[in-house]
Amino acid sequence: MEGFLQALAAGLLIGAVYGLMCVGLGLIFGVMRVINFAHGDFMMLGMYAAFYLFTAAGIQSLFGNTVGPFVAILLAGPVLAVFGYFVHLALISRVSGTRTASLEGEGHYAQLILTLGIALILQNGGLIVFGSVLASIRTPLSSSAWELNPFLDIGIFLNKARSIDAIVSLAIMILLSLLITRTRIGKSLRAAADNPTAATYMGIDVDRAHRTAFALGCGITAIAGGLLATNYPFHPFVGLEYVIVMYAGVVLGGMGSIIGAFWGGMTIGLVQQMSTLILPTQLQNAAIFAVFLLIIFFRPQGFFGRMVERT
Amino acid sequence: MLRIEGLSAGYSAKPVLNDVSINVGAGQFVAIVGPNGAGKTTLFKTISGIVKPSGGAITFDGVDLLAVPPPQRAHLGIAHVPEGRQVFPSLTVMENLEMGAMTESGRRDWKANIERIFEWLPVLKERRDQFAGTMSGGQQQMLAIGRGLASSPKLLMLDEPSMGLAPSTADFIFERLIDIRRQSGLTMLLVEQRVAEALESADHGYVLEAGHVVLEGNNDTLRADDRVRKAYLGM
Repeated sequence: MEGFLQALAAGLLIGAVYGLMCVGLGLIFGVMRVINFAHGDFMMLGMYAAFYLFTAAGIQSLFGNTVGPFVAILLAGPVLAVFGYFVHLALISRVSGTRTASLEGEGHYAQLILTLGIALILQNGGLIVFGSVLASIRTPLSSSAWELNPFLDIGIFLNKARSIDAIVSLAIMILLSLLITRTRIGKSLRAAADNPTAATYMGIDVDRAHRTAFALGCGITAIAGGLLATNYPFHPFVGLEYVIVMYAGVVLGGMGSIIGAFWGGMTIGLVQQMSTLILPTQLQNAAIFAVFLLIIFFRPQGFFGRMVERT
Repeated sequence: MLRIEGLSAGYSAKPVLNDVSINVGAGQFVAIVGPNGAGKTTLFKTISGIVKPSGGAITFDGVDLLAVPPPQRAHLGIAHVPEGRQVFPSLTVMENLEMGAMTESGRRDWKANIERIFEWLPVLKERRDQFAGTMSGGQQQMLAIGRGLASSPKLLMLDEPSMGLAPSTADFIFERLIDIRRQSGLTMLLVEQRVAEALESADHGYVLEAGHVVLEGNNDTLRADDRVRKAYLGM
């Protein structure tokens, strides 16, 4: 019982951060229908951005070791959003959106090759610039815990850094849902996703909507990466480990559903932690994909998959 | 208001539209009729900028339309109600209407527009919070029309509003369009296969066949023309 509650708590905490990570990708896929293989590497850049903002840009001395990392992580979001904006402007927009709308396969082949190329450049460029030594954003909170006593004789420990990570993730998720459901920009992003041609008839610049979605998606995943980095060390090739989890989360949530991607990521976090109750730790990722296959077998459109497809 | 001169356009080397000239005056209701594959939808897509023309000119309100980027054209006052409705399925009825009102004039007149749209098409008011993708074809068509009206357009372009609808629903939508036109004086350009209805209510008509304008005139001339009577009106 104690072990179960402990695994459940750990799963919910990591699941919230995975959820945020998946939402960044889900937003890009949902709005643009571009398979972005480089997304894990954008997250890696987000981790290093947070790392250097914290250690080299004076945030450590300004905010201290406890609050400082989280300030740096939140700032890494806008930094990567600007980076993503220009990557879309210079590269992605050439093989997606209205430029390729009339092509066979809507330019998907070129998109796959391009994002794979960006991934390789970021990974190997990262190796040159950042080196191969493991880095981490440690805070005193990473190695301390709150104890909860839901029942008299049972105590579960919540790692403080992971708890704050989960709260930050939820807060950003709530802000994002408000943005896409309540604001004019958010609604026009969804309209551009539903039917780009009709969106153009409404006077929506679809390429600009794509750029907004790409920048937002990169920024969100960068923040999720920074949050993960408070507990997991990282290196220039870390994106590869996460990008598969991201895609699994997006598919689980339902391709095209932005909020669904969050629950897909949450499910993966829960399965990963709960599996440690019955399986050896090395099989964590195998367990994720076993459950993934099961869910997709029974519900191929994912949790929130749209039955009404765009025309 | 809209002047199309010598327009040629298509998807590959062989043009779908060949030297098409059409004129829509302010306040006019112009109908373009013709069989499947005549190029009616391609004509609308060229006006909206989705298809690039290979020759000819389009001016709207004195502006060279072909020099205006496609998403900007709606902001000039052109509302395109596309073939097959093309509402945003995962947005609610209200959100679809808001997307119609992305233009400056649409935003400015939002309150008055939404009141009139709900008056003309009350089903949209009843279903304002329903996802557009879950509505029937007729309701989606009304939403597409409402969405076009929400932009406060100078020109409303309707691409086969009766397509795929039960005859009674199509009749109802036609009646609404005539009411809307009578009450608002809006300039309308209609593409339609229901030739009798289209010609009856329009001020001026064009017959488009295989990418050419083969005939034009006001509704009396067209309805009196032997070819139109035989080919389209079944008389």
